[in-house]
Amino acid sequence: MRVLIVGNGIAGETVAFSLRFRRPEVEISMLSAEEVPAYDPCSLPYYVGGDVAREIVFRRELNDYKKHNIAFFPKRRAVSIDTEEHLVVTEGGEAFPYDKLVLAHGGSLFRPPIEGIDKKGIFSCKTLSDADALAAHQGTRAVIIGSGAIGVEVAEALKKKGYEVTIVELLPWILPTLFDEPTAKRLEKALLGYGIPVRTAEKVLGIEGKDRVGAVVTDKTALPCDTVVLATGVVPGRALAETAGIKVGRGIKVNERMETSLPEILACGDCVETFDAFTGEECCLYQLKHNAVNQARVVVGTLLGGKERYIGAYAFARAHFFSTHAASMGKTLKGVEGSLGVEILERERDGDYLRLIFREGFLLGAQAIGSFADMMGLLMAMMWRRYNFGRVREDLENLRSRDLPYPWTYGQLVGILDGRKELL
Amino acid sequence: MGLKILIVEPEKCDGCRDCEKECSLFHFGVADPDLSFIRIKEDGHFGSFIPVVCVACEEAPCIDVCPMNARERRENGAVVTNQDRCIGCRACLYACPFGAVQINRETGKSGSCDLCREDREGPRCVKACAKQKALLYVSSTVVRRIRGEGSVETIKQVLRPQVKESLS
Repeated sequence: MRVLIVGNGIAGETVAFSLRFRRPEVEISMLSAEEVPAYDPCSLPYYVGGDVAREIVFRRELNDYKKHNIAFFPKRRAVSIDTEEHLVVTEGGEAFPYDKLVLAHGGSLFRPPIEGIDKKGIFSCKTLSDADALAAHQGTRAVIIGSGAIGVEVAEALKKKGYEVTIVELLPWILPTLFDEPTAKRLEKALLGYGIPVRTAEKVLGIEGKDRVGAVVTDKTALPCDTVVLATGVVPGRALAETAGIKVGRGIKVNERMETSLPEILACGDCVETFDAFTGEECCLYQLKHNAVNQARVVVGTLLGGKERYIGAYAFARAHFFSTHAASMGKTLKGVEGSLGVEILERERDGDYLRLIFREGFLLGAQAIGSFADMMGLLMAMMWRRYNFGRVREDLENLRSRDLPYPWTYGQLVGILDGRKELL
Repeated sequence: MGLKILIVEPEKCDGCRDCEKECSLFHFGVADPDLSFIRIKEDGHFGSFIPVVCVACEEAPCIDVCPMNARERRENGAVVTNQDRCIGCRACLYACPFGAVQINRETGKSGSCDLCREDREGPRCVKACAKQKALLYVSSTVVRRIRGEGSVETIKQVLRPQVKESLS
């Protein structure tokens, strides 16, 4: 069997190496648009900010591919798939044959259609070469467009390097896909405390300057700057699949076995659209590392004829800057808008904040700042096990008044949930 | 035979906290429970004690979520934090279904049980608990005998959740 993998991101790399560890005899080839070994995009802001050296971002060395008999073809951008002849054609016109094809080419940065977006001094932090350029740049005043995880992390990185930093967000609060307004507003306040002002509900109209960036013009003001960072989200790369006649939605559509509409072509990572692990909703995009890894594992299972089924994608992310720690998992209130039986439970203690989202007694999401976040994993375990919190909520009410030792232990939570205490 | 596993039997724990002291003594040279990788949590609801320690999950969520690839599995099966890579973001702690990752108060970085590395004497917490036997360091086959298949299944469910199955 010849397996061809398009993309050397977290998903592609995981498929290649776990397939190799399970099957020494399979022929594995990999095309990568970039020329470096696999790296971790999540780590890039910390390299930009100087927290870690550049070599730390890598997941593999070039040598590892040879060592594990994976034919690695760098600087090969796949542009088309011949589904009849089972060939992938690259930008340079080379054709690569396959028996099974794995699409793991990820997504690309959304470049908003604003005036002046091609000026010098505009950066991003999606790929390693983006990060290299930003790390080498010497500016003094930066405007970050977009306040997703990357936006906030880059803001911290540049602040640490001595920049004056401002974040501009189109929506009414920061980290809009991870947090609801009450949580996000607390984090905005924290950012301001570290000297990073956040301008929400503000639309960027254009970027001014001769050929270099001079100012970011919004619908409310003009922000003078010499550096602009686009942190405007990632669009799944679907053109390659779409032109080959593979079914796509917002991303490439896959089933529980991570097969596309053509069974010999599988897909995983940021380029796919799957279903939500907790609600079963389709059209779900959580472009997060753990989802890419889980999907890649299912791909390997399917390639080997196993019975693995994807459990679905779910949101789990931390927001960390300076000494502020926050986390979110599952749905936000916005994400379950319109459904019945939704309830919110909030807790606050010494500036820390906890927000739980229930639907008909079942936990659907949680957001936490500070020490409340330490119990996120315990809550997630309970969400997976679909505990009915309806009964438990009364106990949670009591917990505050009894002032129990803190943070809560697994035993406490589980014990409260089902009255047993023997669970490890 | 397989790897040896550290298992916890909370009902035998009397809350003496000798394990915490021995752990920090071995790893940091001081008997300071606040540095220990194993923590005894007092269950306020039932008044019992629960030793919380990394159980080195087979598919460890902390490894999957770490943005820096700092969570690594050692040859002895332990999952530890590479201190050169860790940026102290706590993603591993937030993802842990046991809350078993500890944050070092000095460095802000994460750490968890390394099973006392390759030390011949085995994990110090187990030695410290020789009388109560709430902590055991045994091969995986023995675990099955002690716990019975039922509890093994329960643990598996927590570690490798299959929500779709439980729904159907």
